[in-house]
Amino acid sequence: MGKAEEALSVCLNAKDQLYTNDSVLIDDLTLSTLQIVFQRLDHLDMATSCYEYACGKFPNSLELMMGLFNCYVREYSFVKQQQIAIKMYKVVGEERFLLWAVCSIQLQVFCGNGGEKLLLLAEGLLKKHIASHSLHEPEALSVYISLLERQSKFGDALEILAGKLGSLIMIEVDRLRLQGRLLARAGDYSAAADILQKVLELCPDDWEYFLHYLGCLLDDGSSFFLGNGGNSIYPPKHVGCKNLDLPDEVFDTRISRASVFVEKLMAECDNASIRSPHLANLEIQKRKLIYGKGDPGKLVEELMQYFSRFGHLACFTSDVEAFLLFLDDPNKSEVLEKLKGCELTSSSQTKALGQAITIFKVENLIGNMFSLPVCELEGLAVRMADMYCKNLPVSKDLDLQENMHGEELLSMACNVLVQLFWRTRNVGYLLESIMILEFGLTIRRYTWQYKILLLHLYSYWNCLPVAYDWYKSLDVKNILLETVSHHILPQMLASPLWSDLNDLLRDYLKFMDDHFRESADLTFLAYRHRNYSKVIEFVQFKERLQRSSQYLVAKIEAPILQLKQNANSIQEEECILESLKNGNHFVELSNEIGNKLLTFNEDLQLRPWWTPTFDKNYLLGPFEGVSYYPRENLIKQTEENVLKNIEKRSLLPRMIYLSIHCASSSLKEHTEANGSAFDPKLSLELKVLLERYARILGFPFQDAIELVLGVSSGQKPSEALSSDLIGWINFVVFLNAWNLNSREIGFSNNDKPRPSTWHLVNSLLKKYIIEKMRSTGPLLSSPGGDLPMLVQLVTEPLSWHSLIIQSSVRSSLPSGKKKKKGGVTEQANSHHSHEIQDSIQSLCDAIKEVTEWLSAQINKLDDVKFETIFSLLQVNGEGQGPGRILHMFENLISSVDNTALGDRISQALQSWDAVEVARKVGAGQSSVLSQFLRICESKIKSLQALRTHL
Amino acid sequence: MVCIRKATVDDLLAMQACNLFCLPENYQMKYYFYHILSWPQLLYVAEDYNGKIVGYVLAKMEEESSECHGHITSLAVLRTHRKLGLATKLMTAAQNAMEQVYGAEYVSLHVRKSNRAAFNLYTETLGYKIHDVEAKYYADGEDAYDMRKQLKGKKHQHHHHHHHHHHHHHHHGGGCCSGEAKVEGKAGEPEAKAE
Repeated sequence: MGKAEEALSVCLNAKDQLYTNDSVLIDDLTLSTLQIVFQRLDHLDMATSCYEYACGKFPNSLELMMGLFNCYVREYSFVKQQQIAIKMYKVVGEERFLLWAVCSIQLQVFCGNGGEKLLLLAEGLLKKHIASHSLHEPEALSVYISLLERQSKFGDALEILAGKLGSLIMIEVDRLRLQGRLLARAGDYSAAADILQKVLELCPDDWEYFLHYLGCLLDDGSSFFLGNGGNSIYPPKHVGCKNLDLPDEVFDTRISRASVFVEKLMAECDNASIRSPHLANLEIQKRKLIYGKGDPGKLVEELMQYFSRFGHLACFTSDVEAFLLFLDDPNKSEVLEKLKGCELTSSSQTKALGQAITIFKVENLIGNMFSLPVCELEGLAVRMADMYCKNLPVSKDLDLQENMHGEELLSMACNVLVQLFWRTRNVGYLLESIMILEFGLTIRRYTWQYKILLLHLYSYWNCLPVAYDWYKSLDVKNILLETVSHHILPQMLASPLWSDLNDLLRDYLKFMDDHFRESADLTFLAYRHRNYSKVIEFVQFKERLQRSSQYLVAKIEAPILQLKQNANSIQEEECILESLKNGNHFVELSNEIGNKLLTFNEDLQLRPWWTPTFDKNYLLGPFEGVSYYPRENLIKQTEENVLKNIEKRSLLPRMIYLSIHCASSSLKEHTEANGSAFDPKLSLELKVLLERYARILGFPFQDAIELVLGVSSGQKPSEALSSDLIGWINFVVFLNAWNLNSREIGFSNNDKPRPSTWHLVNSLLKKYIIEKMRSTGPLLSSPGGDLPMLVQLVTEPLSWHSLIIQSSVRSSLPSGKKKKKGGVTEQANSHHSHEIQDSIQSLCDAIKEVTEWLSAQINKLDDVKFETIFSLLQVNGEGQGPGRILHMFENLISSVDNTALGDRISQALQSWDAVEVARKVGAGQSSVLSQFLRICESKIKSLQALRTHL
Repeated sequence: MVCIRKATVDDLLAMQACNLFCLPENYQMKYYFYHILSWPQLLYVAEDYNGKIVGYVLAKMEEESSECHGHITSLAVLRTHRKLGLATKLMTAAQNAMEQVYGAEYVSLHVRKSNRAAFNLYTETLGYKIHDVEAKYYADGEDAYDMRKQLKGKKHQHHHHHHHHHHHHHHHGGGCCSGEAKVEGKAGEPEAKAE
C-alpha cells in the first residue's frame, strides 16, 4: 500500500469511528486534522461530510460550524456557505457571520447561477441588522453600499454614506471618491463635479478622477461605467465623449470652469513631479476640439509646454500619445519640427539625454518611419547608438542593478535595424540588431527589454535554443507564466525541442493546477480578516484563470506532445491514449469551446513591433509598411484564431484513437488486431469528427475532399492548403484511416478512376515535405523560412500516418488463434498490403531526403567560419550598409577610458566578444537541426522495421 | 497623471510584471494573495494613463510581535516612471493606512545593503532609520538593513466604543496583531532570482 492509500484508509477508519462510536471525541482539532489529510488526498467531500455529521451532533458549536463553513468555501458551495453562516449568525448574533452570509449570496449572483433578486435578500438581511445593531466594520459598509449600487439604488447608498455609518470609511478622500461616483451614477452630475473637485484638491495627481470630473462637468458620467474589461490584462481606460449636443454656452462655461480649476491646482501644487494638472490642459484642449470649438494650434502649444516641463521623462511619450495621435498629419509634423528645433539646454546631462530620447520616440510614433528612405533610417540607428556610447560615462556610478541612462537607445536602434532588414532583406541588419542587444547585455545583463527583443530575433532566425536561454534568463515564474510565456511557447510548440517544451508546459500547468487546488484555502483567509470584497474578487480571479485560453492550449498541447514523442510505437501510443480516456474528454472540450467565455491574460504590450501578437510576424511577409493602429483588430483576430485552434486541436487525440481502430479493422473484415469485433460506431464517429474538422478548416466535408484530391492531382495549386497546412494534412491522414474501413472514397467514381486515399496521403505528405524543405533554404542566409512547418509536417501528420500504418501492419500479422482465410479476402489483403508497402516506401523516401538535407545543413554550419557570418556586415563604398554600429562599438572598446567610464563598465566593454555571438548563432541553428535530424532518423528506423513484418 | 489607488486582486498580473522588471527578488503568488486577502488596505498601485500599472507597494501588519506595527514587504516602480515621486506616494499611502486603519505604532522594512538608491529614499525622503542589520537576509547571501520609522500611532480611533453588544472584541479590518494562523507555506522571505 502506498503512503497515500495508507493515509486514506486511516482517515476512512477514523471517519467510520466518528459515525458509529459515540464515545469518540469529536473536536475541531481532530476534524481539522482529518480535513487536511482528506484535502491532500483530493477528497474534499469526505472532510465536508465529517463536519456535517459533527455539526448535526452538536448543533450549536460555533467552532464546528466555522469548520463546516470553511469546508463549503473550499468546495465553492455558495448556497451551503450561506445557510451555515446564517445559522452561526442566529446562534451568536455577530455581524461578521451575517456578512459571511451576505458575501455567500453575492458569490451566488456573481460567480454562480443565482439571480440578481438574491441581492434583495442580502440587502434585507443587512437592513434588519443595521436597524437593531448598526454596523461596525468599514468592509461591512462597503459591502452594503456595493449591494445598493449593484441594484442601482444610488440615492439609498448616498443617504447611508452621508449618515452616521459614513464615518466608518477612515480615509477622507476614499469617501469623497465613493460619493462622487454614486452621484455621477445617479445622474446628478453637477453635485458629482463639486465632490470630485474636492477629491482633486486633495489628490491633484489623480488622473482618473480628473477624467471623471471633466466628464461630469460635461454631463457625461460614462467614464464611471467602463469597469474592468475582465478579459484583458490591461482593462480599457479609453474615455470617449458621449454628450456631444451640449448647448454652446453651457459647454463654454463648464470647460472654462475646468480651466480655472486646473490653473488653481497648478498654482497651488509646488511639487514639480505632479503631471496631472499639466496634462489636464491637454485634455481640455482635446475636448474643445471634439466639441468643434477648439484650435489645434493650442493643443500643439500645450504639448510643447508639457515637453519643456516633462520632456526628459521616460514616460513623456506614453503620456501624450493619445493627444499626438489626435492631431492631423500637418499638426503632427509641426510638433515634430518644433521638438527637433528645441535647444536642449537642460542643465543636467541626464535630462538632456532624456529629452533627446523623447524626440526619437515621438518621431517613431508619428514620424512615419516606414516611409523614410533606407539611408536616412540607417543614419537614425547610427545616431541612436552613438548617443548611447557617448552617454555611457553618465552611468559610471550606478549600481549594477540600476538601469543605465539611455538604455532604450539600443532597443530603438534595434527596432530600426529590424525594419531595415525587413525592407532590404539584407541579413546583415538582422545580425547587427542582434549584436547591439548582446552588446548592451554585456554591459548590463539585467535589461529585460533587450532579452525580449533578442528572444524574438533568435526565434525568427531559427536559433530557438538561444532564444530559449534568454527566455529562461528572464526568470519567468508564478503568475508571469500566464502573462509572459507567450513570448516563447508558440515557437516551441512548432519546434523539435521536445524536452524544453515539455518543461515549459509542465511548469506552467503545475503552477495553474496548484493554484486551483490551493486557492480556496486562501479564500478563507479573506473571510477571517473580514475583507469581503476581496473574497469576491479572489473567486472571480480564480475563474478568470480557469477560463484562460493559454491554459486550455497547454492542457491540449501537453498530451499532443506526448503523442508526438511516442508515435514510433503504437503500443506506447495506445497506453497514452488510454490515460487520456481515448481522447473523449478533449472532444467534450472542443464541443464546449463555443460557449466558453475564454480569457486572454497575455501581456502583449511587451512584444516587439514586428510580432504584435503571437500568430503574427511581419518579417515573414514582404515589406508593406505597418500601421501600428488599431492594434485592437489584430488582437481580436488572434483571439478568434486561438479559439478555432483549440477547437480543432482538441479533436486530435480522439481522431488518432479512432484512426488506429479503423485501420486495424480494415484488413480482416471487421475484426480488430486483438480478435475483438470492430464496433462500426467508431467509424461513424470518425466521420462525424472529420466533418467537423473540415468545417473548422472552413469547408463542408465533400468540398474539403474535393480540394485535397484537386491539390494532389495538381488541378489545384499547392497554396490552396497553405492557410492551415498542418490542419489540412492531418485531415487527409485521418480521412484515409476512415476510408480504409468505410471505403466510401476512391472507387465509386465512374468517369475516371480515382487514386486510393493511401496514395492521396503519400503524395501530399511527400509534396509538402519536399516543398517546405526547399523553401527553408540555408538557415544562416534565410531567416524565417519554413523550418517550423517542415518540423510539424514530420512530427504530426506523418507521425499519425505512421501510426495508421503500424496499426494496419499489426492487424495483418497472423494472430495465431485464427486460420488464414482464403479467396477474395486474401486477394484484398494482398492489395492492401501493397498499399502499405508503398506508403512506407513513400514516407521513407521523403524523410530520407530531409535527413540528407539536414546533414548537409549541419555540416555547412559547422564549417562556417566566423568571417562568413561577419561578411554579412559589409559597409559599402559610400559608407552605408550594416556594420556601422558594430564598428562604432569596436572603436569605443579600443579607446576605453577607465576614469570616464568607471571600472565596471570598462571591464564589461573589454569582455565584449562579437565572434562569440556569431558562433552562438551558428551553434543554435545547428542544435535545432540536429534535434530534428534525430527525430527523422528514428522515424526511418521504425518504418524500416515495420517493413520487415510485412 | 498617475493615480495611486488600492490594489485589486486582478492587479496582481501587472504587479508581478513590475516585480519582474524592477527587482531581483520574486515572490510566490501565494504571498501576494496572503497580503491582499489579509490587509487589502495596505496594497497600493500606481496606475498611469491607459490603466497601466507602473508601480506598487505591498505591505502587511506584523502578526507575531506584541507591538502593533506594519511592514513594507515590497516596493517597485517601473523605470519609465522613476523620478516622479511615485515611490514616496505609494509608501505614504501605505503608511497612512497602517496608522489610520490599524493603529500601527511604527513601520519596518528590509533593504539590500547595496541598494543605495532605495536606502536614500527611505532615509532622506521618508525618514526611516537603521534599526539593525540582518546578516545574509537575501537568498544570494547579501545583508539587509532592518529599518524603522515611527508613526504617530494610537490613532486607532474608530468605533471601539460601539461594540458593547458584541460577545467578542473586534479587531477592525481583520486585525493587527490578531495572532491568527499564517497561511501555509508562506514565502516569508524573498527568493533571489536566477541571475
